[in-house]
Amino acid sequence: MAKIACFVEKYNFLDPTEAEALQKFKQTAEGMGHGFDFLFKQDISEIPKYDAVFIRATTDPLYTSYVVSKTAWELGIKVVDDPKSIQICGNKIHLYSLFEKHNIPRIPTIFLAKDDFHHKQISEVFDAFGRPVVLKAPYTSFSKYVERVACETSFRNVARRFFRRSDVLVVQKFMPTSFDWRVGVLNGEILYVCKYTMRKGKWKHGAKLRGKSKFIWGRSISLKREHVPTRFKTVALNACKIVGDGLYGVDIKEINGDYVVVEVNDNPSIYAGYEDLRDRDLYAKIITYLIN
Amino acid sequence: MLIVSNVNLTENDGAMKPTRFLNSSVRDYVLNINNDYRYMKMGYYVSLHAEVLGNPVVPRSENAIDAYRHPILLIKAAKHGIPTLPYMVTDSARQLIKKFGFPILIFAVNPFSNGGYRIANNETALYRALRSFGLNHKFTVCAQPLRGKMVSVKTVFGKNGCHGLSEEISRRFYEVFKLPICRLHIQECDGKAYLCGIQKIEIEELTAADLKLISEEIAQISRIGEKYWLR
Ligand SMILES: Nc1ncnc2c1ncn2[C@@H]1O[C@H](COP(=O)(O)OP(=O)(O)O)[C@@H](O)[C@H]1O
Ligand SMILES: [Mg+2]
Repeated sequence: MAKIACFVEKYNFLDPTEAEALQKFKQTAEGMGHGFDFLFKQDISEIPKYDAVFIRATTDPLYTSYVVSKTAWELGIKVVDDPKSIQICGNKIHLYSLFEKHNIPRIPTIFLAKDDFHHKQISEVFDAFGRPVVLKAPYTSFSKYVERVACETSFRNVARRFFRRSDVLVVQKFMPTSFDWRVGVLNGEILYVCKYTMRKGKWKHGAKLRGKSKFIWGRSISLKREHVPTRFKTVALNACKIVGDGLYGVDIKEINGDYVVVEVNDNPSIYAGYEDLRDRDLYAKIITYLIN
Repeated sequence: MLIVSNVNLTENDGAMKPTRFLNSSVRDYVLNINNDYRYMKMGYYVSLHAEVLGNPVVPRSENAIDAYRHPILLIKAAKHGIPTLPYMVTDSARQLIKKFGFPILIFAVNPFSNGGYRIANNETALYRALRSFGLNHKFTVCAQPLRGKMVSVKTVFGKNGCHGLSEEISRRFYEVFKLPICRLHIQECDGKAYLCGIQKIEIEELTAADLKLISEEIAQISRIGEKYWLR
């Protein structure tokens, strides 16, 4: 009988399917005989009373969730997402450097530093990758700071915006596909497999409607985890291994029959009726992992 | 030893510029000297790049993040025996008043914080600080009781030139976090000093005397050799 704290923020309950998934975690834990409490920002001093902490609020080294993760970690309390995973997955420079070091199949990438950002660099990028190219702020999530640029002017404008918070940014070759594979991984094993599709005419799973600031999403299609090819599994698991042994969501593109890793996310979305549709045991597996 | 620095050191220190280092794959012990080690600033990326290459580096990127995350600074400092005062991470004024009473010392724990603090002497000031540091209650703050007076000291390789109570805090902070350059916020009360916070300094704040001190430290470190990175 263990006590699990689930760190959430109010926005985690706005989408009814996310709220339902959170309730399923609670019911599953309680069904297994464990305590499961939701912890909010004002409950952080309660962390020492728990045996495990499960973070569902959005993670980033600069958010409250990192403080929660590190506090638990320093106290020797099991925590998902652990601080190291947040540090790596929360920053695309960090993640992609590790992809390169460990030879993970990936999108051709270069890093640009604010201090040596000149006309010459921009033309070299276009020469190497063609047009358009994709710019990413290292701290992006939910497709928010991932933009496509085709000329020097828009390159400069987007880069200037991203450089406000980070001294280095990511430039990639533009490699559009009609969907991203999303693989849920826990402790080196595949939990669930989905396809996150792009809306018609869009190239990102999350995109803005023309002239609007609201985000819209493509569909999520769930597949049974047994049905994916071994080669695909190997790519997904190898990408997670360089981050850690926690809970991850890997984004993979299929290009001419090859699997290319877009990114590894810590804190992957879990919405009832989507990620859990074919593999309903994911709740129990995560709870079991937390208390072991 | 490879020195990577955005600070203009003397010729014979032979430092490499951060951007050049990021494009290199040098294998060596790295001493990263920068005025700003905050997450996603150049000082951070230099340490990160060194680590990805498998190089021992001072400071480590994890320490750069943690020192500037207020509650983590306090937890880690306390764990290593550096004097600190009680703290609370919350977005609730009620909780803080109940726990500490006034005056309260408040640090931001939001992504845009520059490390500065505020002092709230009454409820109005506390609510105002929570609203502005919490970016309208989206983030928490880290608060501590204010019992004495605050001092802010520029710290270079653990030395702050003050010879007061705060000197020992600077030295211990450097031992634990290994950030060569920063400003520390320290609270002095009843003849004791407590570590409260950290802030980056501007390059212009480094005086000729600081640069001389940096050169001396570099010479000292090269005498110590690889043991310096293991400690
Ligand atoms: N180089 C690229 N070419 C084409 N599409 C891309 C590229 N990089 C990312 N995308 C798409 O953009 C979206 C967001 O990218 P991602 O790197 O996962 O950032 P985030 O962390 O914000 O989700 C995903 O749908 C992904 O498939
Ligand atoms: Mg993504």
